[in-house]
Amino acid sequence: MEKSNQIFLGDLNGWYIPINRWLKKIFSLVKSFLLFHDHHFIDDFIKKILFLTAISAIIAVFFIIFFLLRDGYQIFWEAGVWNFLTSSTWNPTGEPPLFGTLPLIIGTLLVMVGAMIIAVPLSIGSAIFIAEIASPRMKVVIKPAIELLAGIPSVVYGFFGLILLTDWLRVLFNQPSGSSWLAGSILLGIMALPTITSVAEDAISSVPREFKEGSLALGANHWQTIRKVVVPGALSGITAAIILGIGRAIGETMAVLMVTGNAAIIPEPIINVFSPIRTLTGTLGIEMGEVAFGSLHYHALFGVAVILLFITLIVNIIATLIINRIKGRQIPVNRKPCRKFTLRIENKLRSFQKLAFFSRFSKTLSRLRSYRTFVGCTILGFIVIGLTYSKPFLWIALLVGAVTSERFEFFIHQMRKKLFHPETVQTIAFSLITISVLIVICILALIIYEIVANGIGALNWNFLTQPPQDLGRSGGIFPAIIGTLYLVGGALIIACPVGIAAAIYLIEYTQESKLTYIIRTGVDLLNGTPSIVFGLFGFAFLVLFLKFGISLVAGQITLGLMILPTIIRTTEEALRSVPRSLREGSYALGATKWQTTWRVVLPPAMPSILTGAILSIGRAAGETAPIMFTAVIFSSKFLPSSVFDPVMALPYHLFILTTNVPGATVNKFGTALVLLLTVLSIYLIAIIIRHHYQLARAM
Amino acid sequence: MSDALSILETTNLNLWYGQKHAIVDVNIKIPRKKITALIGPSGCGKSTLIRCFNRMNDLIDSCTIKGRVLFNGNDIYEKDSDVFKIREKIGMVFQKPNPFPKSVYENIAYGPRIHGVKNRKTLDYIVEKSLRSAALWDEINDRLYDSALSLSGGQQQRVCIARCLAVEPDIILMDEPCSALDPIATAKIEDLIDHLVERYTVVIVTHNMQQAARVSEYTGFMYLGKLIEFNETTQIFEDPKEELTEKYITGRFG
Amino acid sequence: MKLGERKISYSFLAIGCALVFALMASGCVSNQGSPTQTAQTTTTQIQRITVTGSTTVLPIAEKAKEAFEVNYTYADIQVSGGGSSVGVTSAGQGNAEIGMSSRDLSPEEVKNYPELVKYEIAWDAVILIVHPSNSINNLTLSQIRGIYNGTITNWNQVGGSNQAIVVVGRDSASGTRTYFSEAVMKNENFTAKQEEFNSNGGILQKIAQTPGAIGYVGLAYTEGVKAVKINVNGTMIEPTLNNVLAKTYPISRPLYLLTKGQPKGLAKQFIDFILSPEGQQIVGNVDYVPLPK
Repeated sequence: MEKSNQIFLGDLNGWYIPINRWLKKIFSLVKSFLLFHDHHFIDDFIKKILFLTAISAIIAVFFIIFFLLRDGYQIFWEAGVWNFLTSSTWNPTGEPPLFGTLPLIIGTLLVMVGAMIIAVPLSIGSAIFIAEIASPRMKVVIKPAIELLAGIPSVVYGFFGLILLTDWLRVLFNQPSGSSWLAGSILLGIMALPTITSVAEDAISSVPREFKEGSLALGANHWQTIRKVVVPGALSGITAAIILGIGRAIGETMAVLMVTGNAAIIPEPIINVFSPIRTLTGTLGIEMGEVAFGSLHYHALFGVAVILLFITLIVNIIATLIINRIKGRQIPVNRKPCRKFTLRIENKLRSFQKLAFFSRFSKTLSRLRSYRTFVGCTILGFIVIGLTYSKPFLWIALLVGAVTSERFEFFIHQMRKKLFHPETVQTIAFSLITISVLIVICILALIIYEIVANGIGALNWNFLTQPPQDLGRSGGIFPAIIGTLYLVGGALIIACPVGIAAAIYLIEYTQESKLTYIIRTGVDLLNGTPSIVFGLFGFAFLVLFLKFGISLVAGQITLGLMILPTIIRTTEEALRSVPRSLREGSYALGATKWQTTWRVVLPPAMPSILTGAILSIGRAAGETAPIMFTAVIFSSKFLPSSVFDPVMALPYHLFILTTNVPGATVNKFGTALVLLLTVLSIYLIAIIIRHHYQLARAM
Repeated sequence: MSDALSILETTNLNLWYGQKHAIVDVNIKIPRKKITALIGPSGCGKSTLIRCFNRMNDLIDSCTIKGRVLFNGNDIYEKDSDVFKIREKIGMVFQKPNPFPKSVYENIAYGPRIHGVKNRKTLDYIVEKSLRSAALWDEINDRLYDSALSLSGGQQQRVCIARCLAVEPDIILMDEPCSALDPIATAKIEDLIDHLVERYTVVIVTHNMQQAARVSEYTGFMYLGKLIEFNETTQIFEDPKEELTEKYITGRFG
Repeated sequence: MKLGERKISYSFLAIGCALVFALMASGCVSNQGSPTQTAQTTTTQIQRITVTGSTTVLPIAEKAKEAFEVNYTYADIQVSGGGSSVGVTSAGQGNAEIGMSSRDLSPEEVKNYPELVKYEIAWDAVILIVHPSNSINNLTLSQIRGIYNGTITNWNQVGGSNQAIVVVGRDSASGTRTYFSEAVMKNENFTAKQEEFNSNGGILQKIAQTPGAIGYVGLAYTEGVKAVKINVNGTMIEPTLNNVLAKTYPISRPLYLLTKGQPKGLAKQFIDFILSPEGQQIVGNVDYVPLPK
């Protein structure tokens, strides 16, 4: 290049040439003195900065645990850890105050189990439908529709649940009250649906075509292929999806506190789905805002937050173990040294499974079958006893005979062949799947319809530009709209640079090692942390410890932390999808790592990163719990003049209108509608952009 | 061949991918301004060897290297050698064309830009010069600002070659540059290589013996990581000294 | 995709971002005043105070603030809920200029925050509400206690129809609940089956849509539900303004505003306003009981 430079610039003639040359010499001397052209130095420097951003996730996790414990240890000290976890009365204001979290923990688990029972079949069915059965045109409509369900803010779900769902349940099942475990599970199930569906659908569609073709070439029909080849092939992704759904269900606050009745009891009997119930998150949501700061009750609530975080950690670990096992069975994994400790746990799990009752049982059964005479005699004996003494023995004899005879097995096999002809099975399966998708779409349509129909009356220019009056029953929601924009904008400014930089570090600057494993675990943990825990952390750390007070900046930082893992994740995926050959091409030209990353890797990854950022916007705009204790007030005439002022925000406004203010019906629906429209349009933009770039890439 | 004529030289070069010994005691002297071909069956280490020449193997973590690689007499694996400068001087063209998802102009200007050239006119000049050297200028001078990915496979590969030429290397390493291309594009590139050797040293890895015979002046035969024989191409193909070489040439194994 | 096309789509994106930024900036611009500015605003500095605490007192504070700010356009009074406990602590620690409470200070709070000054600004009654379709019209205090401690579980046990009672109450940090617990429950434990809501409004909504439910709210919350008369030794006392003033209604209590030390500036003006005849009229307008003259 020096040659070209010289050839070209050397063409000039003029008196200023020597001066130019001198200037250039001085300049390059200064430059080299300042080491600006030392590629190694710059690269090293950048690597250090990126490293700092990468460990930010871990630092954040530690801070969260620290500050929760700082304000929560008192209850463990006072009441004892075991007592706190297992006593069955939660009565913080009784005489004496009792802080037993067992009903809360059970409440959380029950609601989660119910939610999964509802969500998993519907969402896996929908995922299969979208990935395998739907035509491309249907896919274009249904996939975004289900993702839009993900965009509906949790407070809107809670609103819908409180106003409509609980009433329907009460009338439909003739129960005294509709606020119940069932209501909570239904709502949570609906909320977890889109998450599970989209992740599972991604996993199912990335099963290589060759697998499917291989199965079909052997004469299997579509359903058999799906059942035996596609779903098992996507199993790790499907499991990941379900576990993400579980995480969502455990961590959900607003919706659950509005529909479960918040009675801290263990349902009697345990499967009474109509019993009111209270979850850990609901306790935080309903009591945190009103508890006296510094009291034992206050510390107990932080203790509850610690329990929540702990449960999240356990779910995460189990998830990683299960997924790794499934992946390990399918694709031979390079056992890197860093996985040694998970390997040990996995091996223990495996040996534990070997002792599992079921495998023992089937082994016993097959062994039994080989001792034909022995079994025959036993059966004969039972018949004799049965005839002489008591009938039940006859039945036992019959049962034993049936189970152990090969004739019986053959009989069952024939029945199955006749009744369950592959084509019939396929038709039934596909119909069930189609029904599940229709149910999901109907739910979405219903929620949106109710809100639009009732809220459209409130929408006028006044509503959008005036501050609220009369406790929000009249006037508008302008400050809330602006407050939401400020909060989201600030959160993005904080999370995007840090998140993108961290992802760049993880993908480009390091290889898989113990450190990256720890960082990724930190990011995963942050990702699974319930939003209310973020809210409490923000309150303890930003509002109180750093003395920011209830302020816009506290809300922005809390929200930023909440969306950080999503940004890291999506950026990581985006960077991973840039083919290695591009990087090699750049390195081969003599580019440094940073030059390659900045100029060659980032640009094509930008659309996906953008999509991730936009999805984060949607989430941040709709969340109530993180801002409830950190940034919002109910009403303010003026907009915030500095970042240390509190703000109004749409989701909080809706929450207060719904739960605190009677008679604000039209405005309630109006606020819900504005919030819904804001968030959904953001999601829609993200989906369109992603679609656009997917088409472009296909060219 | 005397040392002064060799631009690239390895001394007892050994390479391991983890436990796998991929390059075994290779001593090779690449002659200056000539086309050298490296042939051998799959997995014999030819691609690995040329990736040692521009330190691309540094990107693979499980890789360990022992021995010396001398470029114009200097060991490129020395502690304080500037790897970026080395890659500027020793360029590489890959098996599968890998233009960046940018315009043709940006692809070719990429190299000069990262090495500090900012002047627009200089860049224009370099782009045109490189495209001419790659025999592509006449075909696409009206499509400079179109995406490089919209070109045909052969054109993309020539863009990659032009991109490589834009940084003015001394050596061009080519890792099976034609294996992903159709015969017509292949012919064009072989033609191009013939012209490139006027100013650059070319080392081409190929598993197509006929191509090696057509194109190169020197050939090295590798097998299981070892350099079995290295000589003038005519010698290798007409009168190989090693039995293994002869077996490979005559197609007894491949 | 051609580069030109990509540039166009990027420019759309840029326009979109610009619009969003413009909206946010408009927030900054219209920052210094409400939509109706008067000449006064441009010359006086904005004063801001925080009023936080009991959700029972909140409607009074909100309505008073609206009336107050009409005349004092430089005032920005930020009202938020949180419960009586929050009101006491925020005022006591100085985080808020004025705290709202629907119960008296506990001995511990008096000890922790000795500088707190209490202003009685209104009276409120705790009323029991049921669904309009409920045949019950009156209950004795001991019956109410029985319902809330779980011994009475069906309406037919107190003279109503055969319907399970759905017990609804406030969350544990609420001042209203604390008062109810002392005055009615005599500090007995509430039934664990009680459904809890975090506001008067929430309870109101629940009762209005659940035929078998009973709840306790402030005097102002009667829309769509039936208020139960309290049977005191045979006399049915209706929860009305007069009965509260005459102190015949057994469960009524004062509402307080609290400040740390003597209030100054805007806080003083606001409290004075609420205690003035105009302020007391507002108290009456929101269905609370103004102070006796």
